[in-house]
Amino acid sequence: MKYLSIMLLAWMTTFQAGQDLYVCKNASITLFSTAPIEDIKAETSTGASVFNAATGELNFTVLISSFKFPKSLMQEHFNSDYMESDKYPRATFKGKIAEKIDVTKDGSYPVNVTGDLTVHNVTMKRTIPGTVTVKGGAISMKSEFMVKCADHHIDIPKIVFHNIAESIKMTVSANYVLNK
Amino acid sequence: MYLINNNHTLNTPDMKRCIILLSFMLASVTLMAQKGDSDKKTTAADSLLNSMSNDDAKGPMEIYKSSRLVLSQSTKTIKKNNFNFLVIHRFGDFAGKNGGGKLYYGLDDVADVYIGFEYGLTDNLNIDMGRSTIGGLADLELKYAVLHQARGGSPFAITLLGETGLRPYGKDFTKASDRFSYFGQVLIAHSFSPGNVLQIAPSVVRNNTPIPFVPGNDLDFIALNATLRLKLSKAAGFIVDYAHSFSSFQHTQGTGFSDPLGFGFEMETGGHVFTLNVTNARAVNEINYLSGTQSSYGRGQYRIGFTISRMFDFNGHKKDKKEAKESNN
Repeated sequence: MKYLSIMLLAWMTTFQAGQDLYVCKNASITLFSTAPIEDIKAETSTGASVFNAATGELNFTVLISSFKFPKSLMQEHFNSDYMESDKYPRATFKGKIAEKIDVTKDGSYPVNVTGDLTVHNVTMKRTIPGTVTVKGGAISMKSEFMVKCADHHIDIPKIVFHNIAESIKMTVSANYVLNK
Repeated sequence: MYLINNNHTLNTPDMKRCIILLSFMLASVTLMAQKGDSDKKTTAADSLLNSMSNDDAKGPMEIYKSSRLVLSQSTKTIKKNNFNFLVIHRFGDFAGKNGGGKLYYGLDDVADVYIGFEYGLTDNLNIDMGRSTIGGLADLELKYAVLHQARGGSPFAITLLGETGLRPYGKDFTKASDRFSYFGQVLIAHSFSPGNVLQIAPSVVRNNTPIPFVPGNDLDFIALNATLRLKLSKAAGFIVDYAHSFSSFQHTQGTGFSDPLGFGFEMETGGHVFTLNVTNARAVNEINYLSGTQSSYGRGQYRIGFTISRMFDFNGHKKDKKEAKESNN
C-alpha cells in the first residue's frame, strides 16, 4: 500500500500544473479618448484572458472589431482608418506578474505586469500596473493604462473630422474561473 | 531451470505490485516530459488562449466608404438611425459649343442638381428620397443589403435597389400614370483588397412615357453598370464608372446617344465624403442618365461634377444626455 500511495502522489503531481490555469472569456475592455469636439468611448466584453497562477503568466487577446462605439461611423473609422482591423484583427498582451499571488488567500494585491503589448501589429515592452483580487477562490483583475497612438504607428488622418487624442486611456476588467 | 525460476518470482504478489508501480511511474514521467516539451514552444496558457481566439477570419467587411460612387450607387447601406444628406451636382459642358472659357468651362452652367437624403431604417435597409433638376424628377428609393462580403464568408456583397420616379410638372404627359418611371437594380460588389472594389450592377428601367420624348423610344430596357474603385490612400480613392443601356432605340444610327462614363476622385473627411468627378452624363439619377444620355466626350460634352455626402448619426444622443444628467446630479 505504501507503493500505491507514492504512485498516486506521483500521478497527481503531473496534473497539478493544469489546475493553475484561470480563464476569462468575457473580459471587459474600454477605450476612452478626450477630443476637442466630443469624447470618444468604446467598449467590448469579449476579451479573452488566461492567467497561470503557478508561473504568474498573464495573457490577453481582444478582437479589434468587437469594440462597440455609440456612433456607427466612429466604429467604422476606428476599424478602417485607425486600427486597420482587416489586416490586424487582434490586440494582444503576453506578460508576467512580478509579484507572487497566493490564490488560496483572500485579498487585494497591487501588481505590475511586464510583457509585450501588441496593437496594430506593433509590439511594445510595457509594465502595466493593476490590481488582482482573490475572494473565495475566484480571481478578478483590474487595470488602467495609457496607449500612445504614435507608439503603435496608428496614424491620425489630418483631415478627419473625428479627432482623437494622442493617448488613449484603456481600462481592463476580468473575472477568472478555474480552467477545467 | 533458471528461466522457470524467474517466472516463479514474477508471479509473487510483491513483484507484481512493483512492476505495476514502475509502469505507472514511467507513464507519469512521460506525461511530465511531454508537458515540458510543449512548454518550450508555447505555454499551456498560450495554447488555451489561442483556442479561445480562433474566430478572426469571420465577420462582415465595410468595402465602401460611400453609398454613392460617380454614376452608380454602391452596395453600402448606411447604418440604422443615420441620416445621410446628399448634394450631387453636374456643371455644364466643359468644352464644345456650349462650353469653353466664355462659360468658365461649364462652371457658369448647371446640367443637373440632385438634392436628397438617405436614412437607415435598419443597418441593412435604407429609404432614400431626392429630387433632380432634369425632368423635375422626384425619386423614392428602397435599398436593401442582402449579403455582405465577409471574412471567411461570402466573397460578394449584394444589395437590391428599387426606385420610383415621378415628374410632377411638365406638359408631355397625357395621364397621371405617364409621369412615373421605375428602376430596379442588383448591385454586386467584390473587394479584392481593402479599398479596391469592383462592382457590377444589372438593372431594369421602365418609363411610362418615353424619356426623352421621341417617337419609337423604348419604354423598357435593361442596363448594366460597372464600377471600379481603387485605393489611393486610407482616405482617398479613384473611381471609374461606366453604364450601358441595352436599348435598341438608343443604339440606332443618328439618335445621338452615348454610354455614360465617369471618373471620380473620392475623399473621406470623417463625417463627409466628397467626390470630385468628370462625366459625359448630364443627369445624376439612374432613370435619367440610363434613358437619355445624349452628350459625348467626342463633342466636348463632358463636365465637372461633385458629390457631397454628410452623415448625421442619431445614435448615442439619448445616452449622452442621460449620462450628462447623471453627472449633473
